Amino acid sequence: MDFEKKIEKLESIVDQMEKGDLSLEKALSSFEEGVKLSKECSEELEKAEQKVKMLIGLDKNGDAVTQNFEMED
Amino acid sequence: MVKGEISNFTAHRSGHWYFSLKDQKSQVMAVMFRGNNGRVSFQPKNGDEVLVRARIAVYEPRGNYQLVCESMEPMGAGDLQRQFEELKKKLAAEGLFDPKRKQVLPKFPKQLAVVTSPTGAAIRDILNVLKRRFKGLEVTVFPCKVQGDMAAKEIREQVALVNELGYFDAMIVGRGGGSAEDLWCFNDEALAREISMSSIPVISAVGHEIDFTISDFVADLRAPTPSAAAELVAANSAEWMDKINQNKRRLWRAMQNSFLYSQQNLFRLKKLLGSPEKLLEAKNQRLDDLRWRLDRLASQNIQSKKQSLMRLRAGLQSPQQKLAAVEQKRKNLEDRLIKQSQSILQNKKQKLASLKSLEQLTRSQLNVKRSELHYAMGKLDSLSPLKVLDRGYAIPLKDKQAIRKSTELKVGDKVELRLSQGKAFTEVLQLEE
Repeated sequence: MDFEKKIEKLESIVDQMEKGDLSLEKALSSFEEGVKLSKECSEELEKAEQKVKMLIGLDKNGDAVTQNFEMED
Repeated sequence: MVKGEISNFTAHRSGHWYFSLKDQKSQVMAVMFRGNNGRVSFQPKNGDEVLVRARIAVYEPRGNYQLVCESMEPMGAGDLQRQFEELKKKLAAEGLFDPKRKQVLPKFPKQLAVVTSPTGAAIRDILNVLKRRFKGLEVTVFPCKVQGDMAAKEIREQVALVNELGYFDAMIVGRGGGSAEDLWCFNDEALAREISMSSIPVISAVGHEIDFTISDFVADLRAPTPSAAAELVAANSAEWMDKINQNKRRLWRAMQNSFLYSQQNLFRLKKLLGSPEKLLEAKNQRLDDLRWRLDRLASQNIQSKKQSLMRLRAGLQSPQQKLAAVEQKRKNLEDRLIKQSQSILQNKKQKLASLKSLEQLTRSQLNVKRSELHYAMGKLDSLSPLKVLDRGYAIPLKDKQAIRKSTELKVGDKVELRLSQGKAFTEVLQLEE
């Protein structure tokens, strides 16, 4: 599941829980899932490492050929 | 006003400029003194076409004419401005700047293309901002020249390539600050059309806040600087973080409410049910009761089984016992018969005796009664009215009824007199009370 899907799922879980018509058991499992999703999403945002590439041309299939891009100081 | 191309340009230490102005046919010496050239907005160099306001003077040491310039403008500056305005008008008329054409930046871009010089200030600024705000975004630099004659073409080709590769969520096209000429490539018509056709959202970021180019107008979003462009892309990630945190808070609150609700529900149900201990006590009591009843039933059952067993056992006797029992029975019956006969006989004897004594009693009673009768008859005789008549009394009768009062009679009534011997018939003559 990609980030956006996770956020959507998280929101739908929260919406459903806020309606308050879930059994305690279902609410607990939803809560667990929600906490897991929000943790994963936060981590995805925080722990990512900056990846910068530079296009140096196209191969014979027309796909991009890149190399790591380092900024000159 | 003189128009010409600069050559032999020399900026003297004194601050004065010396150069030649030439056109296709002729050439003339020119000077621009320090006081005047300080107001010139650009750095002239050889080959520049310029328009100067000047007066003609004679340079006495050499005896030749020269132009003393008072102001200088680059030729074409006015042209460029005019070209810019014309292109802007034209593209606007075609609807290329229409807000309805603008694409919206994706909520969560993952692949960013940056079309710019790999050695310029722009890419450095962009990456710094992204590093600070949104490391998760993958950046691909599409290198190109961003000034000079080839720049517009290279930029255009890279924009086209970004679209061709297709997997980018957004692209930044731009460069850092510079002169109007430096930024001129971003006023290219073909580049403007390429940007307007891009199916990937384009953020234009050229020069500084005050610099506007055709690319800015035609792009989906104009950023005042490359740093600002990076923030436009990365700002969304901060929003995501907010969103996650907000959802997290809502999640916790909803869970707390859920707990609270369940707790209240439990409390309510508990109250409804009574305490489990009490429930258990009641059940225990019922259990005891049932157990007691069960015990009783069981013992009753055993008792009745015992009895029927005994009955069965009694039924199961040996023939000798049976014979003895029959003999016994017979003897019993014989005894009873004899006893009964004797008692009947006795009874009869007694009855006979009592009858005999009864006869005697009756006889003596009869004698008593007889003498009592004699006595009573004598008494009766003396009391009889006939005896009274013997003593001279008579009974007056009227219609066979004895008369006691004179009022019962009236004069002329016939009255019968009963006498001791016979009757006399009389008539009433007079009555007195």
